[in-house]
Amino acid sequence: MSGESPLYVLENIAAAHGGRTVLRIGALEIRRGEALGLVGPNGSGKTTLLRILAFLDVPASGRLFFDGREMHPGPGNGAGEMTAARRRATLLLQEPYLLRRSVFENVAYGLKARGKRKGLAEAVNAALDAVGLPPASFASRLWFELSGGEKSRVALAARLAVQPEALLLDEPSANLDAESALAVRDAAAAARSSLGATLVVAGHHHEWMKGLCDRFVDLSALSDGRESR
Amino acid sequence: MDYLLEGLVTAVKLLFSGDESTWSAVWATVKVSALSMSVSLALGVPAGFVLGYARFPGRKALRLVSDTFMALPTVLIGLLVYAFICRRGPLGGLGLLFTLRGIAVGQAMLALPIVASLTAEALEGQDPRVRDTLLTLGASRSRLASGTLFEARHAVMAAAVNAYGRVSTEVGISLMVGGNIKWQTRTITTAISLETGMGEFATGIALGLILLLMAFAVNISLSFFRRRAGLALTGGGAS
Repeated sequence: MSGESPLYVLENIAAAHGGRTVLRIGALEIRRGEALGLVGPNGSGKTTLLRILAFLDVPASGRLFFDGREMHPGPGNGAGEMTAARRRATLLLQEPYLLRRSVFENVAYGLKARGKRKGLAEAVNAALDAVGLPPASFASRLWFELSGGEKSRVALAARLAVQPEALLLDEPSANLDAESALAVRDAAAAARSSLGATLVVAGHHHEWMKGLCDRFVDLSALSDGRESR
Repeated sequence: MDYLLEGLVTAVKLLFSGDESTWSAVWATVKVSALSMSVSLALGVPAGFVLGYARFPGRKALRLVSDTFMALPTVLIGLLVYAFICRRGPLGGLGLLFTLRGIAVGQAMLALPIVASLTAEALEGQDPRVRDTLLTLGASRSRLASGTLFEARHAVMAAAVNAYGRVSTEVGISLMVGGNIKWQTRTITTAISLETGMGEFATGIALGLILLLMAFAVNISLSFFRRRAGLALTGGGAS
C-alpha cells in the first residue's frame, strides 16, 4: 500500500445500458480516506459508477486502477483478483437485500467468506452496535422480522463487519426515517475515522451528505472535468 | 353416498387394526417414493441449478426439454421403463422388473424433470440483488453458487413437494413396472385401482385417505424442517 497514492483512478471510463451511454468520466481520482459525495440528477450514472467501483459491473471502455493496480475484470480473466478487490471495497445497495437468514448470519456472512471463524460473535456484535442495533435484541431475528430502516442498518453492519478499505453507499438515506438515516451517517463516519475507510456516497439529500462528505462530484458535469465544490 | 362414510370408517379400522395387506401397501409406497425422491433430488437439484444459474450454449433447448418432460404421462414412462428392464430389454439382466426398485426408476424419471425445471425456474426468477449482495460481501465463485442455491431453498423444497405429489399419486408406472404383486410391489395407488375394479369402493376410499394422510405428513414435516432451519440459522449471535 502506497501512502498518499489515490485508492481509485478512473481514466476515460464509459458505461452503457441497452446501447445508451449512461456514464462518461474523463478523469477522476478518489483519495485514500476521503469522503466523496456523488451528486447529479436521476440517470446521471451515480449507481453505475458505484457498481463499477465495487467491481460488480465492467465499464464499456476506459481504465480503472485500484490501489495502483489496473483492474481487468471479465469472465475467466482474473476472477480471483476481482474477488480479492471486492473484499476490500464493498457496496451498500440502494435497496439493500438481506439474505434469508438471521441478522447474525447476515452480518457474519462476509467474515465467513473471508475464512474468519474465531471472534465472529464479537465482530458481529460490534458491527450491530455501530449501526445502533442492540445485538441482544436483534442478532437472532430473522430477515422478515425487521422494518425497512432496520434492514438497511443490518445491511450496513454486514459491510462494516468486514472492515472495508472503501465503503460505497448508494443513496443510503433514501426511504429511511430520520433516526435510521442519522444512524447510517454516524456509522459511516465512524468507519472512516476508526478504520480509515474511503467513503463514496451517492445521494440526493444534500443536507444529509454535507454532514458526511468533504468533496462532491457532480456526475452530470464530470465529463467536462468540473466538480461541484 | 353411504360408501363415502363407510370408506372413512374403514380407513380408520384398516389403519388401527394393523391390517397386514394395507400396511404392506403403505410401506411399499413409502419405500418406493423415498427411493425415487432421493434419486430425483440428488440429480434434479444440481441439474436445475446448472440450468437456472449457468449460461451456456444449448441451455434454452435443455430447459425446453425439461419443461416438456414435466408433462410426461406415467403410462408412457411405465412403457419405456418396462421396455428397458424386461427380460428382452437392454437392462433386463438387472432384474428390476416387478420390483420396487424398478418402480423407483420410473418414478425418478417422473420426478426428475419436475425438480430440475422448478429449481431452474426458482433461480431464474431470483432477485438480482442476491448476486450483488453475495459479491459485495466478498463471496468467491463457489460461495456465490452455494449462497445462490441456499437463498432459493424454499422454492427447491416446494419443487420437491410438487414432485412428491406426482410420485405418490401415480398409478401407471407402479402398475406396468411393478405388476401390482401383493406383499411385494402393491402400492396404495395400485391397491386402490384393484379394489375399485372389484367394487370395493369403501376400501378404495380408505386407501385414498391414507394416501392423503401421507401427503399431509410430508407437508407437516417440511414445514417443521423449514421452521427448524430458520431457527438454526439464528446462530446464537447475541452471545
